[in-house]
Amino acid sequence: MKDPRLLLTDLSRIQAQTRRHFLGWGTGGLGAFFLNAAMTEDARADGPQTLNFARDPATPLSVLPPPFRARAKRVIYLHMGGAPSQLDLFDYKPVLARFHGHDCPQSFLKGKRFAFISGIPKLLGPQFPFRQAGRNGTWISDRMPHLERRLDELCLVKSMKTDQFNHAPAQLLVHTGDPRTGHASLGSWVTYGLGSENQNLPGFIVLVSSGGITANAGKPLWGSGFLPSVYQGVQCRSAGEPVLYLDNPKDVSRAQRRQVLDAVDEINRQTHVQFGNPETVARIAQYEMAFRMQLEASDAMDIRRESPAVLERYGAEPGKTSYANNCLVARRLAERGVRFIQLYHWGWDSHGTPTDEGVNVGLVNRCRETDQPTAALLADLKARGLLEDTLVVWGGEFGRTPMWENRGGQEMAFIGRDHHPSAFSIWMAGGGVKAGLVHGQTDDMGYEIVQDPVEVRDLHATMLYLLGFDHQALKYPYQGLDQKLTGVKPARIIPQLLA
Amino acid sequence: MTGRISAWAYAAGVLLVTGCGIAAAMALRPGFAATVRQVTGLEPARIAAPDSFYTVRVAPLFDRHCAGCHGARAAKGQLRLDSFAAVWRGGRHGDVLGKDGELYRRITLPQSDEKAMPPDGKPPLSKDELTVIRLWLADGARGDVPAATVKDAPRLVLPVTIPQMNPQDVARQRAPLADELARLQKRYPGLIAYESLASADLQVNAMLAGKRFGDADLQALLPLAARIVRLDLSGTAVTDAAPLSGLRAVTHLRLAGTGLTGAVAPALDGMAALKVLTVTGTNIAPESLAGLRRRGVTIHGEGDDGA
Repeated sequence: MKDPRLLLTDLSRIQAQTRRHFLGWGTGGLGAFFLNAAMTEDARADGPQTLNFARDPATPLSVLPPPFRARAKRVIYLHMGGAPSQLDLFDYKPVLARFHGHDCPQSFLKGKRFAFISGIPKLLGPQFPFRQAGRNGTWISDRMPHLERRLDELCLVKSMKTDQFNHAPAQLLVHTGDPRTGHASLGSWVTYGLGSENQNLPGFIVLVSSGGITANAGKPLWGSGFLPSVYQGVQCRSAGEPVLYLDNPKDVSRAQRRQVLDAVDEINRQTHVQFGNPETVARIAQYEMAFRMQLEASDAMDIRRESPAVLERYGAEPGKTSYANNCLVARRLAERGVRFIQLYHWGWDSHGTPTDEGVNVGLVNRCRETDQPTAALLADLKARGLLEDTLVVWGGEFGRTPMWENRGGQEMAFIGRDHHPSAFSIWMAGGGVKAGLVHGQTDDMGYEIVQDPVEVRDLHATMLYLLGFDHQALKYPYQGLDQKLTGVKPARIIPQLLA
Repeated sequence: MTGRISAWAYAAGVLLVTGCGIAAAMALRPGFAATVRQVTGLEPARIAAPDSFYTVRVAPLFDRHCAGCHGARAAKGQLRLDSFAAVWRGGRHGDVLGKDGELYRRITLPQSDEKAMPPDGKPPLSKDELTVIRLWLADGARGDVPAATVKDAPRLVLPVTIPQMNPQDVARQRAPLADELARLQKRYPGLIAYESLASADLQVNAMLAGKRFGDADLQALLPLAARIVRLDLSGTAVTDAAPLSGLRAVTHLRLAGTGLTGAVAPALDGMAALKVLTVTGTNIAPESLAGLRRRGVTIHGEGDDGA
């Protein structure tokens, strides 16, 4: 027979349950139960599998095996905010060089909409010498001499396209699969689907360089959207304390902090008994993770623990905020089992207006800041055996025009190119992608894709496949629709990109 | 005269009307005409060989790009491209084949042309796909040319298929070690996981336990040895005496940052399934791994390929 006092507690708990809790539990509990029953019955039916992402709310980041064998276990995404000029880095166009300075043909302009170009702009040839490198003689500009030596590891896609020609929506599309805010980012989907190996660190970590400028779309780029908030990216600082207010205040010992947390946990536990809301358990889990992070995060982010030789290879300088430091931190996080590591380096928006937005100035600087660390990261991952199962992605949000931007019909102060959604280049390396591949082709002017176009959603589908997911099966019910990273338009896994 | 027509005349009339109907239908619907000709033996049924260039390379392209509108569900322009016979039959305006025929003309029109196929912003056929169709048309659009003999054809790229799994099979494969696994997962929380939902193979991530994980712990995991395929011992306290050779199924082994030395080499040699080994930051000398290298094991982190 049950203790009558316990019965009373049960009763008060049931009374405290609101309709909202019941429905919330209903989808997770009863719904999952029926789904499970249906799955065994109907497991071989056509269409994507129904996956069960239910977890103990106390461990929302616990590891879930992917539906099928993954070639990549983690992702390092190097986002080059502002859209680097593919025509000055990877997509070599000698014919465009021949027509440099000519008026842009009418056929390029008819029916097109540009962010800034108006009237008849002049064509703008590649601004830097290109050379062939790697086993397959891949063309690359002389602005990336370090990366040039790692060309054989890259899977270069020259035929990316998007339907957004302004930074924020285009960045949102690349990160969340949708040009509007409110959708879950790639990193959130991946940590939702797979959890994270290291329970003492966030599963999705964001590192920002370039003077703290994130990117035009801001923090929604690593937001969890409709997914539970515990899957959103956690921005860490690369100088000083990695996470603000994580360290204990002066004169507070770790033991004292433990006592405070125990008391808070106890109150939260009572609240949970009373209201039965799983978010309360999630809150307890967050406090506990923060406590564990006090030890592990500072260590993971501290690049002073690296040898001078390693620091030099990356060009990293402890104490500074730089892309180089972030690349090194990314490797340290990958080693420690963080699932998704997102770097932002802004400043590739080479319109030619102010000095730092010139192809001849800003782009050169961005290359100088990023080329060596990016190449060092690839080499380091490879040497540590991590490139086998780490997917590295480099790219911006769209491309740039083969025309010299003429904002308001005026010649620009510096050499610049306008936004160009119809073609851009990205590359991937590591985890299951075909090394040394060049995929897709643009026309002689680098204006339109003539072979193997890859939509952003195709890239997402391919990345998810490498991580062991059918992009159709990684979904979350919201607003009456099974939301997916790849959206509702058909997305293709690009077979050529797979090793 | 209110006469009655004879039965013969009636029958003849019905036959005449039916015949006109069939003739009209045959004239208006080429597909129907072809069926009639084939049923009556006037025309041989066209079938492509299973290994033909058509079946292997061309038909999948029609299926992917065309058959949604030119197939069983809808035969726009009375054209169907979902079988070899139908392709030969053509559409409302007759034959579409031939090197300069309607089919090739329409799929090569610029996308802005309203007659371009596929229409309405659907992705056009890629250069390689067009080449495949051009080669087939140029050779007479035949169904008996073996795919292997067409030398100029671009490399075949098969669409990626999502691996399907049968939960009962997986459960059956997992059953023998399930209890042992549950016990060890409780003892080492978060360290042992199935490689995927479709697999009974395990990966062990002892790296997360760091120096708290030693030889005795590895020994404790040996009951699972038949299924452990990936093992990460980076930064753990394992020694050269670790029971590595018992881990006969491991294909990927990481030893980075451990205190291991060349003395561990014989144990590594005993790991028959090993394919990828990482020894970054250990004292394992490259020469002690010569045996593994001869076996074709990929070794990361010996020497300085990070430079």
